[in-house]
Amino acid sequence: MARVTFDNVVKKYGDTTVVKGLDLELPDGAFTVLVGPSGCGKTTTLRMIAGLEPVTSGSIRIGDKDVTKLEPKDRDIAMVFQNYALYPHLTVRENLAFPLRAIRVKRAEALARAEAVAATMGLSELLDRKPKDLSGGQQQRVAIGRAIIREPSVFLFDEPLSNLDAKLRVEMRTELLQLQRRLGITSLFVTHDQEEAMTLSDFIVVMRDGEIAQQGKPKDVYDKPNNTFVASFVGSPKMNLLEGTFSTGKFVSESGLTLAVSGVPAGKKILGVRPDDIVLEVGGKSASRGRIGVIELLGPRAIVQVEASGQSLTAVVEASRMDGIVEGAEVGVSVRAGSHHLFDSVTGLRI
Amino acid sequence: MSRFKLIDASRILVLAVAVVAVALPLLWVALATFKTPADLNQPGIIGFTPTMANWTEVLSSDIFAAVGRSVLVATVTVAIAVVVGSMGAYSIARFSTGGSLSRFGILAAQVLPPAVLVFPFLSVAYILRLNGTLVPIIFSHLSFVVPVVTWFLIGFFAAVPKEIEEQARVDGFGRFDTFRLVVLPQVLPGIGAAAIFGFTLSWNDMFYGLILSPSNSTILPVAIAGFNTFRGVELGPMAVAILIAIIPVVIASFFVQKRLVQGISGGAVKG
Amino acid sequence: MKFQNAMMTPLLSVMAVAVGFPLLYSLWLGFTSYQLVSGGVADFVGLDNYIRILSDGDYWTSLSATATYVFLSVTFELIIGLTLALALQSQKWFKNFTRSFLLAPMFITPIAVGLMFRFFLNDQLGAIPFYLDKVGMSYDFFGSGKALVSLAFIDVWQWTPFMVLLLLAGLESIPKQPIEAARVDGANRFYIFRRVTLPMLSPILIVAVLLRGLDALKVFEYVYATTRGGPGIETKTIQYLTYQTGISYYRLAEASAMAFILLVIVLGIIILLFRRLERVNVR
Repeated sequence: MARVTFDNVVKKYGDTTVVKGLDLELPDGAFTVLVGPSGCGKTTTLRMIAGLEPVTSGSIRIGDKDVTKLEPKDRDIAMVFQNYALYPHLTVRENLAFPLRAIRVKRAEALARAEAVAATMGLSELLDRKPKDLSGGQQQRVAIGRAIIREPSVFLFDEPLSNLDAKLRVEMRTELLQLQRRLGITSLFVTHDQEEAMTLSDFIVVMRDGEIAQQGKPKDVYDKPNNTFVASFVGSPKMNLLEGTFSTGKFVSESGLTLAVSGVPAGKKILGVRPDDIVLEVGGKSASRGRIGVIELLGPRAIVQVEASGQSLTAVVEASRMDGIVEGAEVGVSVRAGSHHLFDSVTGLRI
Repeated sequence: MSRFKLIDASRILVLAVAVVAVALPLLWVALATFKTPADLNQPGIIGFTPTMANWTEVLSSDIFAAVGRSVLVATVTVAIAVVVGSMGAYSIARFSTGGSLSRFGILAAQVLPPAVLVFPFLSVAYILRLNGTLVPIIFSHLSFVVPVVTWFLIGFFAAVPKEIEEQARVDGFGRFDTFRLVVLPQVLPGIGAAAIFGFTLSWNDMFYGLILSPSNSTILPVAIAGFNTFRGVELGPMAVAILIAIIPVVIASFFVQKRLVQGISGGAVKG
Repeated sequence: MKFQNAMMTPLLSVMAVAVGFPLLYSLWLGFTSYQLVSGGVADFVGLDNYIRILSDGDYWTSLSATATYVFLSVTFELIIGLTLALALQSQKWFKNFTRSFLLAPMFITPIAVGLMFRFFLNDQLGAIPFYLDKVGMSYDFFGSGKALVSLAFIDVWQWTPFMVLLLLAGLESIPKQPIEAARVDGANRFYIFRRVTLPMLSPILIVAVLLRGLDALKVFEYVYATTRGGPGIETKTIQYLTYQTGISYYRLAEASAMAFILLVIVLGIIILLFRRLERVNVR
């Protein structure tokens, strides 16, 4: 149970700076998710906490202890890798008990604790099997069990769910969250999947090009993205971002689409509208017209592409409101009042 | 269809010829062990009255003392080579320690002409009064078995996935414990093959043995050559000695065959 | 000390004692007139030994005999080895047994192989000459002009399996797609082999040829078992000559110098091999 603090941490490989002056604090006991596109530095950051990558400059503290120069074994952490990294020559029971050997727990006690952990993870039937005889989901449970057996100060997860099939992934997400709540151990979870990040996190950190693009509670990051990158990265389908000019009561995009938006000072800005906030009306009174393109039905909702005055927009429509919304239909397009986001055309920062 | 058969037939023919070419001399030796000196003087292989005289003569001689010495030298050499070589091979495979220089050095040590090292060994053995013992031979065998075993193991260590080591370090183990408890178990088959291969190399050496071992207590290959006495060659007993030397290693080679490639190429070819 | 260096120290220590020290000692010996009974002290004679060796016609004859031997054996091992490797690669039945059996010769102690062939090919006691005679051919395997070739033949018998091993591994590790693509494009087997397979195999071929060649340079046991350098000095290979000089003629220092010259040749070759290997190894 400890906070993890990054103090101006920089990581370079030769001449390339992969992590640029990171200042971050992971809240104690919370489930923090580090998310971003590939190459953003999130895995490197995780590995620096683990001690598997040396820090070029800056310091990392776990609790009040400066761990920057310490070997992984002295940091009181546990880690689950993407490929689970189970020891092939050991049985499930021995895999679970292995970390206890490092802290000199007596064999009998270690095996007993392994059996207890196996029970909590639903692995009791598999104790004598070797990793190669387990399914992906079972292997992952063993990896997690092995991580919790030592009750460390920090849990680190390196995209552990990426190798599971979609259904199993969603199940494991819930299990993982429940486990963390129960144990209350500070956890850092790295993923490239923003949906996973949003559903799992108490605290989310979005990274890009070695820097933090935004951090905060998931809802805050979703509702108030700091810049166009975060705005389009978080939330699926992606937010519609339109460059254009505002004047009284309306917005004209570069491509010529006019939308009614009130309360925005005049000038060139980027307009951001989430697909959920685009309203389509068959027939409709709106001056902005569009033609329906491709429709993807997702059960309770549909993702609808609309072509309006040369601009492509993505809208999400509730299943109950899909009457008349078919490919080729002409609709009125409008933006739900007050739901718009504004970004500076040059910097991309939120206004 | 007929083209298909032709290729297949020629393939089988080639292999059959090869098998016969390998088997023929060996068979001849095996048969020679059962022939009397009179029969041996007649080269026709077939049609002879078998005798056990050669076998009894050799088996009751001190051939087994020579075998024992070969075993001792080979075992000590391989034991040292495996311990020292596995640590070095791990370092080179995982960290590229010494870069090209270390790989070059190991390769060079393996192909050194024995003539270069043997005279210093001989000279030092005399100076240190060790010339009556097996110590000089063991050192000389170390000079080529250790590099070969190390080279052999590099490929195996390189094949161990990095994540397992990282997992062990995170689970609380230091680097050497990680090597000992997690990495070594993964390369055990490779170490077995390396040990057998190294043992064979030591077992088969005659050059160092001829020059460095005491004339009355020598190792097996030299003892075999010793059947070439001033009385002429005692072919029957020599054939027996040859078989005694050949059979164990050939049997061992059957076990090692699968891993040989990964080892011999030093990781250059993925086995 | 850094972990990776600490792991190297046992290896380096053993190598320093078993290889490094003798190597330097050998270098020193080559510049002296040391004899076994000198007990550690010797007169420095500078380059005398080297001069004497390099101006001795017999030495050059020995080198050329060795070179011929290496060339003959490695060439045949390559050709036969490649043929066998190709045949083994597509074999279906008795795969493991055939492979193990064909690999067996390389595990036999060379002196045994030498002695075995000494008698197998002996013009009075050997089976082969006996049967050749029956079909009207007479061939003196160890006679003048033929002995060196016969020795090369023994080398081929014992060491082709080594070639087969490496080449088989090479064949099994090269990508199959280019070959399949060529097949689909309609090329015939020989064309594919010559233009697609061989070029892809070339790195392994080079490694195999050089490893085997360097080993063949050191040939001793076959000579010791059969011809002892004869007829005349036809089969007095360089390692045998060195042995004779040092042990039979008690000229230890001169033998050391002789060995060192060979070492320089070998090192030169390895450096070449190494440059090639490094280029291939960029994975």
